[in-house]
Amino acid sequence: MSTAATTIQRAPAKPFYFNTSAHLLRITEYKANTLADLLDALRECPEESIFQHTFRTLEEHHFLRAGFSNDFAHWALAACNEPSLAEALAGVDVREFTSVAELRTRFIQILERYLHEHPSTGTRFADETFYFCASDIVVMPTSFQAHTLHEFAEGIRRVGLHSIHHHFIEARLRIKLMSNDFSQWLHEDAGLTETARSLNRIDIYTATLEDVREQIVQIVERALT
Amino acid sequence: MEPVKSQPAASSNLEAGFDPVVPSPPERRTTPRTWETPPAPVPSPHLDDYQSIVGTAAIDELRYLARDLKGKTLKMVNSTALGGGVAEMLNRLVPLLGELEVVTHWDVITGGNDFFEVTKAFRNALHGSAYELTRHAQEIFLTYNEQNRHRMQFNEDVVVIHDPQPAALIRARQDAPTRWVWRCHIDLSNPNPQVWEFLRPFIEQYDAAIVSSQSFAHQLPIPQYLFYPCIDPLSEKNKPLDDSFVQKVCDEFGIDRSRPIVTQVSRFDRLKDPVGVVQAFKLARKYLDCQLVMAGGGASDDPEGALVLREVKEAAAEDQDIIILELPPWCALQINALQRASTLVVQKSIKEGFGLTVTEALWKGKATIAGAVGGIPNQVIDKRTGMLVHSVEGCAYQIRYLLTHPEFAVQLGRNGREHVKENFLMTTNVRRWLLLMRIMLGWGTV
Repeated sequence: MSTAATTIQRAPAKPFYFNTSAHLLRITEYKANTLADLLDALRECPEESIFQHTFRTLEEHHFLRAGFSNDFAHWALAACNEPSLAEALAGVDVREFTSVAELRTRFIQILERYLHEHPSTGTRFADETFYFCASDIVVMPTSFQAHTLHEFAEGIRRVGLHSIHHHFIEARLRIKLMSNDFSQWLHEDAGLTETARSLNRIDIYTATLEDVREQIVQIVERALT
Repeated sequence: MEPVKSQPAASSNLEAGFDPVVPSPPERRTTPRTWETPPAPVPSPHLDDYQSIVGTAAIDELRYLARDLKGKTLKMVNSTALGGGVAEMLNRLVPLLGELEVVTHWDVITGGNDFFEVTKAFRNALHGSAYELTRHAQEIFLTYNEQNRHRMQFNEDVVVIHDPQPAALIRARQDAPTRWVWRCHIDLSNPNPQVWEFLRPFIEQYDAAIVSSQSFAHQLPIPQYLFYPCIDPLSEKNKPLDDSFVQKVCDEFGIDRSRPIVTQVSRFDRLKDPVGVVQAFKLARKYLDCQLVMAGGGASDDPEGALVLREVKEAAAEDQDIIILELPPWCALQINALQRASTLVVQKSIKEGFGLTVTEALWKGKATIAGAVGGIPNQVIDKRTGMLVHSVEGCAYQIRYLLTHPEFAVQLGRNGREHVKENFLMTTNVRRWLLLMRIMLGWGTV
């Protein structure tokens, strides 16, 4: 019998409680009409704005399978017509960051380098203004909790997509680890380290959040068989 | 690529010397036959009715958010109980909040014709029209606001004032803990400075403002929240329809469902560029067989609308594949059917508030081509949830492209529907109001 099969004979040490979150969008005082403005605002805006235009926008556009990464990249392409900058900004994977401060620094570095290499682009007016927004967030419980792996898989199948985003994508900012709530629970409480690792390899940028849910369920079900 | 032969117009048949004794097709109706009077109002749906559309989890979220708000009171104040998007939205929102046990009162201000003439002028001025704000207009505005302030009571936990007409009711604010919110539904991106500076001191006394687009936000010293307008998936305009009804409506108007149908639903208004749509259609039809449906209203009670309608008819030039329909405002089911029968939906606006007809089309899973103006880019993410265009030629090209790439059109439609489901449905709006109440009452966010 494999290690995984042996491990799942026993119940996980702690149940998994599925939570979810709801957000209300607030418009901040920061905005940008040029790439130079964008750089200034990226330096000064509140962390909630960086979070909004990266993590949160992924949630708002969870149904897109490809071509949407973050609002900064989208604006650089759609309003500034700077495809190489847009590609560089879109290449930032939020899962490589466990703090918004690090994420902000990464965007600033990309923009500084681009404006250094293409100084004439800094003051060119964009087709549309970029408005920095932020979210007020309420975290709330759902009616789902898992005491077994079967219940865990069932919970993932049935919770709303906001819950998947909350646990699988946003979680790293909360737990300050390059991981997510599902993998942490599978590793620490269910003893399924390899399954936990497999979840971390799911590519959220080439799949819809519904696809991601399916992949999580498949990986967990593989551990059950 | 060889162009597909388009169906010749009747007049060109005669010019080309076709046999004049061929029976002409039955005259196509341009106004509805069987629904010439408003139907009886439809009862409001209940929260559970939305479950099959947005899922159990979304409804559970609403119930959770409302749980701590039970017994809290909310007052909505606007300037009309019937007609217009705000009243339509409140008619749906208020019962749903009530079902969640958030006691919601809805009051409508009163005023004479002089008041509503002034506030209509304010509205146009806030949209950017030229306007000379006189002392007399200010007095009329303030006098009626004062009358309403004395007539109404504001004992609720949260009071929401909709649009500029009742904005000066903020003078009723006292030391009581009531929180005041100004909900602005109109485009404030380029307001007439005189009117805006007159209103601004009132707005600054509120605890928060709500606008419909980021570009409507002004530098105010109060928090500004973004509430996108929304559609009700269970309304007559958006509810699922039997295909037999869709067919009946198409038959009524002489629309051939075996051929591609391109539709724009909008009142006959230059800002919707209906003539540009006809031109784009004619360019596209050089390559493809298709029909154009232009469905709208506003021509019977608006002299400018009648003029625009005449221009559209002239541009169409009796082309039998261009079907121009003047529909009264209560023909929501027929509009719904026309949108559902469409292969593509166009909204080639050159200025737009939010563009709820775009939302309606996206919700019905239709590939949508729309002008990149106002709130449309919030809905149509170019090449992801629809196609944005900036010209007649661009619109024509996208009609050709989408009609020849149906799989891509289907993908756009699918994404568009999901985008609406996530961001622009009535249930999302209920969630925003519940979140706002929690924030205004000072608890519940992280």
